[in-house]
Amino acid sequence: MTRLVKELSRLPGIGEKTASRLAFNLLNRPREEVIALAEALLEMKERVGLCSECFGLSDSPRCHICSDEAREHDSICVVEGPADLMAIERARSFNGVYHVLHGALAPLDGIGPDDIKIKELLARVSGPHGVREVIIATNATVEGEATALYIASALKPAGVKATRLARGLPAGGDLEYSDAATLASALSGRREL
Amino acid sequence: MPAEEASAAIVLRARDYSESDRIVTLLTRDFGKLGGIAKGAKASRRRFERKLEPFSHAMLYFRRRPHGQLVFITRAEAAAELRPFNIDDDLAKIALGSYMLELADAMTSEGAEAEGAYRVLSEALGTISDAGASPALRQSFELKFLRWAGFGLEFARCRQCAAPPSEETAAYFVVSRGGIVCARCRPSVPEGALRMEGASVVALARLGEADLAEASSTGPAGADAALAISRFLSSVLDRKLRSTAFLDSVMAGNPRA
Repeated sequence: MTRLVKELSRLPGIGEKTASRLAFNLLNRPREEVIALAEALLEMKERVGLCSECFGLSDSPRCHICSDEAREHDSICVVEGPADLMAIERARSFNGVYHVLHGALAPLDGIGPDDIKIKELLARVSGPHGVREVIIATNATVEGEATALYIASALKPAGVKATRLARGLPAGGDLEYSDAATLASALSGRREL
Repeated sequence: MPAEEASAAIVLRARDYSESDRIVTLLTRDFGKLGGIAKGAKASRRRFERKLEPFSHAMLYFRRRPHGQLVFITRAEAAAELRPFNIDDDLAKIALGSYMLELADAMTSEGAEAEGAYRVLSEALGTISDAGASPALRQSFELKFLRWAGFGLEFARCRQCAAPPSEETAAYFVVSRGGIVCARCRPSVPEGALRMEGASVVALARLGEADLAEASSTGPAGADAALAISRFLSSVLDRKLRSTAFLDSVMAGNPRA
């Protein structure tokens, strides 16, 4: 039990108390459920790697999105991490392909362009498959903006259209409860009807 | 329960902690540098208004904990007298602004009075917002911040004989003396020194005196001046600043370096 609590405590957001609760819960579960969980963990570790093209998570050399010929391969959506890719996929509004950077430029943490997969993106854009548009969907944080500006500037020589996700009011949001920064973004990014 | 306190503050550093908390380092106007934890910051836009990001300038409300280093941040609010910094629309602004935040973090200590540091940083970030980033602004900020910290570098006169520099004559920067010595005094100074062009010395003397907005519209001192400041900073800081490499590459116009 001590070993299990220690291992669970290593996971993000899980302190010792939560780890103990999880460990006792697992102890009380049927043996087959615990085996299924252990097998799933092992299988994930052994089989899941990175797609050679977009660097998203994949259990084959090329992920199901990059292998899908029905998707628009000339439109690349750039995201910081695999979770962002999944979020955009859930929206079912984008039929292009992705590029996962695995991070963002963070000068305060010493993370520069060589520490994330920007070189790979540039190589992909200048590769044999023509790319029409790169949609930069990094987070709306200082790091995300720095990454977006850097990529947009690096793409200029290639003559590829670079766009940035709009920032503004959330669907169903009330103006009254919006913060000043969000309102300012919404105003500057307004569109004609 | 300890009383709630408040101060204007600039967020120097921020990171997520557990599912919804955020740990931040603040340079406050009234209490110096503080480390704080904001419980539920990621979930509560109402209490924190997204003011717990680097470069945020806001009124921070907090309670001290009896046995903890981090204060509990209870809310963060915009205030009319605190101008927001418009940094994230330009890569050079982000690079220089990040360097300023890191330098301010490295040169201040928690619990020590730092109103002057807050004012220099606030003015510098405001100047970047208005005028953009420039090497001259960087140098002027470095000189002003060093002066606040008690390291007033002397470029307006020789540390030995007090003679003013001239644009035509080289001078020598001596780290351990925190300033220049003129060519005439150089033989009598045993320490190692960095040779600087006269024009660079005069430019640094000017940048040290000019206010930041004025400095940002002038040309920078030369590469030898940048090297002199950098050597002095290395001698007083206990670590290398992580943002320097990125800033240098962006300022050189080659962000891919």
